[in-house]
Amino acid sequence: MCILPRGTGVTVHYADYQETRGNNMVFSSIPFLYYFLPCVLILYFMAPRRLKNSVLLLTSLVFYAWGEPRFVLVMLLTILQGYIFGILIERYRDRRAKLCLAVSAAVSLGLLGYCKYADFFIENFNAVTGLSVPLLKVTLPIGISFYTFQILSYIVDVYRGTVPAQRNFINLAAYIAMFPQLIAGPIVRYSDIAAQLEDRTHSVSKCALGIRRFVLGLGKKVLFANTLGELCSTFRESDDRSVLFFWLYAVACALQIYFDFSGYSDMAIGLGKVFGFDFLENFNYPFVSKSVTEFWRRWHMSLGSWFRDYVYIPLGGNRVKKFRWLCNLMIVWFLTGFWHGAAWNFIVWGLFFGVLLIIEKLWFLKVLDKERTGILRHIYVAMVVLFSFVLFDAADISQAFYHISSMFGAGNLPLVTAESLYQLKSYAVILAAGILGATPLVSYGIHKLRERGVFEKLFNAAEPVFLVLLMLVITGYIVDGSFNPFLYFRF
Amino acid sequence: MWEKTKNTVTVSVMAAFFLVFFVWCLFKPADEASDSERRKLAAMPAWKLADVMSGKYMKDFEDYAMDQFPLRDSFRTVKSYTAFYLLGQRDVGGIYLRDGYASKLEYPLHTDSLDYAAARLERIYDKYLSGKNVNLYLSVIPDKNYFLAGANGYPAMDYGELVSYLRERTDYMQYIDIFDCLELSDYYRTDTHWRQEKIVDVAQKLGEGMGVTLSGQYTRRLLDKPFYGVYYGQSALPLPAEQLYYLDSEVINACRVYDFETNSETVVYDMEKARGKDPYEIFLAGPKSLMTIKNPGADPDKRLIIFRDSFGSSIAPLLVEGYGEITLVDIRYLSSDMLGSFLDFDNSDVLFLYSTLVLNNSVTMK
Repeated sequence: MCILPRGTGVTVHYADYQETRGNNMVFSSIPFLYYFLPCVLILYFMAPRRLKNSVLLLTSLVFYAWGEPRFVLVMLLTILQGYIFGILIERYRDRRAKLCLAVSAAVSLGLLGYCKYADFFIENFNAVTGLSVPLLKVTLPIGISFYTFQILSYIVDVYRGTVPAQRNFINLAAYIAMFPQLIAGPIVRYSDIAAQLEDRTHSVSKCALGIRRFVLGLGKKVLFANTLGELCSTFRESDDRSVLFFWLYAVACALQIYFDFSGYSDMAIGLGKVFGFDFLENFNYPFVSKSVTEFWRRWHMSLGSWFRDYVYIPLGGNRVKKFRWLCNLMIVWFLTGFWHGAAWNFIVWGLFFGVLLIIEKLWFLKVLDKERTGILRHIYVAMVVLFSFVLFDAADISQAFYHISSMFGAGNLPLVTAESLYQLKSYAVILAAGILGATPLVSYGIHKLRERGVFEKLFNAAEPVFLVLLMLVITGYIVDGSFNPFLYFRF
Repeated sequence: MWEKTKNTVTVSVMAAFFLVFFVWCLFKPADEASDSERRKLAAMPAWKLADVMSGKYMKDFEDYAMDQFPLRDSFRTVKSYTAFYLLGQRDVGGIYLRDGYASKLEYPLHTDSLDYAAARLERIYDKYLSGKNVNLYLSVIPDKNYFLAGANGYPAMDYGELVSYLRERTDYMQYIDIFDCLELSDYYRTDTHWRQEKIVDVAQKLGEGMGVTLSGQYTRRLLDKPFYGVYYGQSALPLPAEQLYYLDSEVINACRVYDFETNSETVVYDMEKARGKDPYEIFLAGPKSLMTIKNPGADPDKRLIIFRDSFGSSIAPLLVEGYGEITLVDIRYLSSDMLGSFLDFDNSDVLFLYSTLVLNNSVTMK
């Protein structure tokens, strides 16, 4: 998995990312879990209510500085401009407000563009013109795509009058820099937590809910995503490939990305609850979708709704002529792909979904609706998603085509080899558990059992024990120095 | 009511969990080394602004936090149990268990590594051996996976191809095949190496190939310390201890061993090393770049030079009966370019004795 924008001239594959361990304080690390988090919790709950946001801000800056000390100032200045322009927009409410909005957006997007996309454009410019403009090789600040979008949503919402400008810099900075969601989302809207920044409740039940969510998210990340990541890594290093191995890789890759990202979102939402916040959900079992349209209503929901509210609807949404509407859709999906990384395969990945969504909206959804059992619809979505993640994970377009065509035996690949069969056996349990865990079946089963009185008591008694045992296992994996990258840090 | 109690218990238990480990992490004295993993553990990094700004401090701190975590070995065991028995993984980090043996997958065959190894050997031949009065021999030691992996459905390299590939590139040497002298039980269950008490026939086969007769008469002695091999620590599972035997004889006892690294005399069986972290180092004091064993009871002009890896440490004492002097060279620790300063190769037998593990990962050969 290329997790850095290829346009930077530095292609870091997922398998190599563990080499960067220590440069970010990932949630699934000993420094975070057993040094940073206990300190933060002690400070936070000891602090009087009026200082809680200050504690959150300061500890979030420490968290950020742990990974990228140089970029703390960049983030603070970006927040500061958002703070100032937010107040100015509210004050003027005329053409000057529009100017302030434009300047603030230009600053935020300019910084994002410079850090994330400059080398991509230079590379492509060089390729087209034959020139050799040197690359800038800018280091991408962690989480810049996330906090830029949060600042933009804040400024736009203030401009629209949806929310009042935040007069307290600490509150605004605490919202944007809040460490649970700072570097990998979800993209929390200011409007969703504005009231909670001023006044929020802390309760044992909310805290317990948050802890459970956090530990389960950590489990998804460490036990599922990292283990499946090892399989993907083995595939990439193997010379003994077969059709089976390509399919194994595709499934493992899709599940890894899902558990990695949704696990991180769970941890963010859980930590948010511990600190009294209610972040919106980011994933809702996307793999059970019966159409690509539904898939994107369930996958990375905070990003999808951001593009809907701040790009698609301002462009006119679907209340325009058909051609313009289709253009709007393609613009949104181009940007969605480009947001994920400055490389052509991400753009193609976004456009691929754009085309599919258009096809569905124009006529295919009607065809799908006629399929009563739902089986074909699930197969259709599963295939599309698998191919999309193979494309997403590829180092470049040609590799993506090679991987996808190899899934169908191109190049006279053997169907099965000893190694692929071995890997299938070795990862069978985790793959089966992963597939099951990616559906609501487990949750539904537990819910049904809970409805019976006896099981309700059993689950209540078992939950704390289960969480402690899970933490012990997770700690074992982390202590052993297992494969532990995070995918969405650089997006 | 139940919900409220559950929430209170959850918060209390988890708070206590994190608090206990937080305090434990802060106040636990740092260990210098891990016996089970046989390695030095990371120490608390010194605070330097340059290191903080570059991120080095953070990386070093994470290494420290992981290495010094309370109950580290127990946590690693929990991980291994989960991976092997709950998640059903057939190997964890390449380590697998089968029929009471722990081993590490050695797969696939790296022909580039074989090319490199062959090039190193050819360089030695060209520089020191070509045109000299020397008898050249090559023998390849199969690692444990040869017997364990393929037969049990684990990926295994093609050992036949490895040997023929190497032989094609070293046709200036006479190959002595020892594969048929070995079986799985000739290896330690928890270690990479072969058991000295089980390779007398291997030594005889090598001796036969080099025109030397070995009696094979030894006294078997038991090391009074349980032996846990390298895979014991790597698997992090409570595998049973093994017994380490070494073979003694009057000839071996009379031998004088010279260590070029320390410029001092040493012994064939180093009891001090035997009581250290790796008891296999009982054999010729473990990894040594250059050493000589002199057998006063044999013709001093009958000389053998062995280019070897760690497998050679335990078999060399069994070959000494047939030679007045055996020189052991490990080019992983000594550049082959420097050998001319120490060794005279003329009028000697030269044996290149390498395990498949080193040949398939030969980057360390200098």
